[in-house]
Amino acid sequence: MRFALRRAAALAGAGLLLAGPALAGCGKSSGSSPAPAGTEPVTLTVNLFGDFDYKPLYEQYKQTHPNITVKENITDYDTHHKNLKQHLTAGAGLADIEVIEIGQIAGFQGQASKFVNFLDQGVDPSTWTDQRVKDASSADGKVLFGLGTDTGGLAMCYRPSLMKKAGLPTDPAALSAQMKTWDDFVNLGKTFQTKIGDRNVHWFDAASNVFNAIVAQAPQGMYDASGNVIADTNPDVKKAWDQTVAAIQAGESAGLAAFTPQWNTGFQKAGFATITCPAWMMSYIKANAPDTKGDWNVATIPGTGGGNWGGSYLTIPRSGKHVQQAIELAKWLAAPEQQTLLFKTKGHFPAAQALWKTDDIINFKDDFFDNAPVGKIFSAAAENIKYQPLGAHAGEFGNAIGNALVSIEQGKATPDAAWQKAVADIKNIAG
Amino acid sequence: MKSRTHQLSAGRGTYVLLGAVVLVSLFPLYWSVVAASNDQAGISKSPPDLVPGTHLLDNLRRMLDLVDMRKALVNSFVVSATVTVSVVLTATLAGFALAKLRFRGRHALLAVIVATMMVPTQLGIIPLYLMMAKWFGWVDQLQALILPGAVTAFGVFFMRQYLVTALPTELIEAARVDGCSTLRTYWNVVLPVARPAAAVLGMLTFMNTWNDFYWPLLVLTPQNPTVQVALSSLAGGYVTDYPLVLAGALVGIVPILIVFAVLGRQILDGIMQGALKA
Amino acid sequence: MAVLADARPAQRQPAPPGRARVSRWHRLDLTVSPYLYVAPFFVIFGVFGLFPLLYTGYLSLSGWREDQDGSRGTFVGLANYTRLLHDQFFWNALKNTIGIGIISTVPQLMLALGLAHLLNYRLRGRTFFRMSVLVPNVTSVAAVTIIFVQLFGRDYGLINYVLHLFGVSRIDWQAGTWSSWLAISLIVTWRWTGYNALIYLASMQAVPFELYESAALDGAGRWRQFRSITIPMLRPTILFTVIVSTIGALQLFGEPLLFNVSQTPAAGGSQHQFQVMAVYTYQTFLGNGKYGYGSAISWAMFLVIVVIVGINLTLVRRLRGVEGA
Repeated sequence: MRFALRRAAALAGAGLLLAGPALAGCGKSSGSSPAPAGTEPVTLTVNLFGDFDYKPLYEQYKQTHPNITVKENITDYDTHHKNLKQHLTAGAGLADIEVIEIGQIAGFQGQASKFVNFLDQGVDPSTWTDQRVKDASSADGKVLFGLGTDTGGLAMCYRPSLMKKAGLPTDPAALSAQMKTWDDFVNLGKTFQTKIGDRNVHWFDAASNVFNAIVAQAPQGMYDASGNVIADTNPDVKKAWDQTVAAIQAGESAGLAAFTPQWNTGFQKAGFATITCPAWMMSYIKANAPDTKGDWNVATIPGTGGGNWGGSYLTIPRSGKHVQQAIELAKWLAAPEQQTLLFKTKGHFPAAQALWKTDDIINFKDDFFDNAPVGKIFSAAAENIKYQPLGAHAGEFGNAIGNALVSIEQGKATPDAAWQKAVADIKNIAG
Repeated sequence: MKSRTHQLSAGRGTYVLLGAVVLVSLFPLYWSVVAASNDQAGISKSPPDLVPGTHLLDNLRRMLDLVDMRKALVNSFVVSATVTVSVVLTATLAGFALAKLRFRGRHALLAVIVATMMVPTQLGIIPLYLMMAKWFGWVDQLQALILPGAVTAFGVFFMRQYLVTALPTELIEAARVDGCSTLRTYWNVVLPVARPAAAVLGMLTFMNTWNDFYWPLLVLTPQNPTVQVALSSLAGGYVTDYPLVLAGALVGIVPILIVFAVLGRQILDGIMQGALKA
Repeated sequence: MAVLADARPAQRQPAPPGRARVSRWHRLDLTVSPYLYVAPFFVIFGVFGLFPLLYTGYLSLSGWREDQDGSRGTFVGLANYTRLLHDQFFWNALKNTIGIGIISTVPQLMLALGLAHLLNYRLRGRTFFRMSVLVPNVTSVAAVTIIFVQLFGRDYGLINYVLHLFGVSRIDWQAGTWSSWLAISLIVTWRWTGYNALIYLASMQAVPFELYESAALDGAGRWRQFRSITIPMLRPTILFTVIVSTIGALQLFGEPLLFNVSQTPAAGGSQHQFQVMAVYTYQTFLGNGKYGYGSAISWAMFLVIVVIVGINLTLVRRLRGVEGA
């Protein structure tokens, strides 16, 4: 209630008690709100789709900005991005800061003008790689509407205890050496399945995660450089599909679709030996399976070593009530100190490329992961990410193929039928 | 209770069957208490625990830290109560007119009302949202939930169907002979007869409004939530924390159960008395 | 829609000749006030229901889609509707909707009728019983579905555990067509049976007790009384619940959406095996950002509902003809 009263008081002070909410709802620019004098109490709202572990940072921010209170709202991934689209279309209902995930960002490029242009706010685009900047820019490159927060360069997290049981190397370097390519990875999985002799333990968690990692290393994924959909015709996609299907048929997949309750349990009960692992996955594992501390390690990802899964942007809709304060907060959250802290305490690897070379990051080891040199590993992973053209529906195509793989895992479809279904889905989404 | 003499009494088999129905009806709620009082590890066991755990207070505290549940409860109550009163009044009024008054076009109007029930909720939602945002400026305000819910075709149709059989035409004719206006007739004759159905309609409307989540999720923001909007923020996040979400769900259910416990008997007695008058 | 006149107004004669002093006022009251009484409904519905509906109709003729700048005002005629005819996902959604609709509605209404009959007996603790059966409907779809998803869990769900005790192997409820339909129907049935039972009960209270008494004197057993007195007397109410449940089933949304615990809830399963019409509309509209095409699907869905409710009405009326004899 305190929050509501405070907001009401602020509005009354500005003589806007009645008109205030209506104005806010009509998409008026910040011009109509009181000048950012920096003293009157302001509540900023932040909409997220998962826990970004920002809460302690807000407290810290309040020490230097006592008038700023931050209220964050977390909805699930799907709803968050759907609501954001709808609120943007209507020009109302937006938070002061909205995050957008990398798989969704391209879908917002057409609406770049509805967001604050960070190029006008003294933000240096060379902070991030060209790809990250391009993804969060308007087509002509004149508007940069997102500040990159974290990045999802891929490694491979694994369970040393299970490797040991199956007679495979528990040491990251030795394990990496045995799975240089994805074919190696699939073959090693066959060995694992034979030796582990437990039908409830599998080589990896979900086929879709393996598929996504393989595709993420290709020069092109779902779209070509001129923005055409090639998801159904790209030979690299089909090859990744075939490799993944081979792994499913060898019984290597635990069939635990990502972000389902079964998947969560799989972490807790050691239902799988490996999982493709961006840095944020470390935060996920720690939150989800705290009791597994020490029984994790991190190897390099097979293939070319590149590939990205996840990562986000902070955006600021121009219709907000406190645009100026929101810009300051967003810039502060994306600043090097905070990014470094978030990595070391929670495992969100910074998107800002200069940080990848700092000692603070490079030398960081994580005891949850058996003291793996995760700083070094994820810096290398981030460096290795290569440009892959994104498009408005890239995420949805990936999901459609992922669902097709799930149907094979469930034993409900043959690989051919599943592929046909995925192609039909892709055509339907794009058409 | 006079009504007793007017009913067949139940045999043992009836009690056994009803007992089974009650068990099935209540078990999932009991289960949610079990889950809400456990931690994550506790609910992923095989066989699952069937007795409540010890983490209920802990989960409630975490839940209250995350969402403004007090505000959500007040908002939900204001919206549901207003909508309920409005729906019951407009529905009995229109239902009375359509059931018992003769006027040109009443069949057509009834058909239109039934037809509007078939309109999928999702059908108009984007334009409705645009209206709320651009014309009325009601995004994040409770009116945006109250006005579109203030009348329901369901309610009108429901009351009409009820009054057709339950309201004796002789009563209306008698009132007319006494010189009552139709409005007076409505107030003195129709409303008392309509009470049982109105009570049921009111209860159902209240609950449906309380539980509606698709439209509120869109038009409200978590800054000014209803209970369901607050619940959906709890369900967000990568890891669905079932104990946390179900703790929130319990808090959302309790007020309705209280309303139920306090008014339920009267509502149900109302059904009985109404039956006698009819 | 003369069908609805089946519960015809009992008023067969014009009002008795009024006395002179009141007649003019009376006539005015009788001619004008009925319209005033239905006006609140139509005014509010017109603004918040009809207008958005027509606007969606207008959008369905446009090529507006989020991923194409400047597509908002474009007019494409009936192109969206022609596309719909060849959209395998729409037909799939229609099939799923009808399938789930049948297995959730038919048993549900029969159970509700039986339950209402039981509740209509003179009972000790009847308030408790009546309130208990309505409790499932008190709880929100969101909460209920989350609870059931837990109960239907593949690895640690209570239902699979119980089945396992009877030697049935673990079922991945979301994976199969029939298993997912069954699970969703169970959630719907659990939630709505008590609701319908109370509606029936309210009407049963209005059945004159003398009918049962004389039937009992004639030696009719309880089942016979139920069939030949209760059901015929409840006909308007049954008609009402059939229509409302059919509409509800065809608009089913929350349960299948939330039942899918994957990252793509609106896909309705790995092969769209439980993607119903409302969810497909939602997916097209908000997920893929196709406003024009999504509007066309919404309208098609509306037409489908009108047709199916029409068929149902005819069937129920047939039934009445047979049983009423």
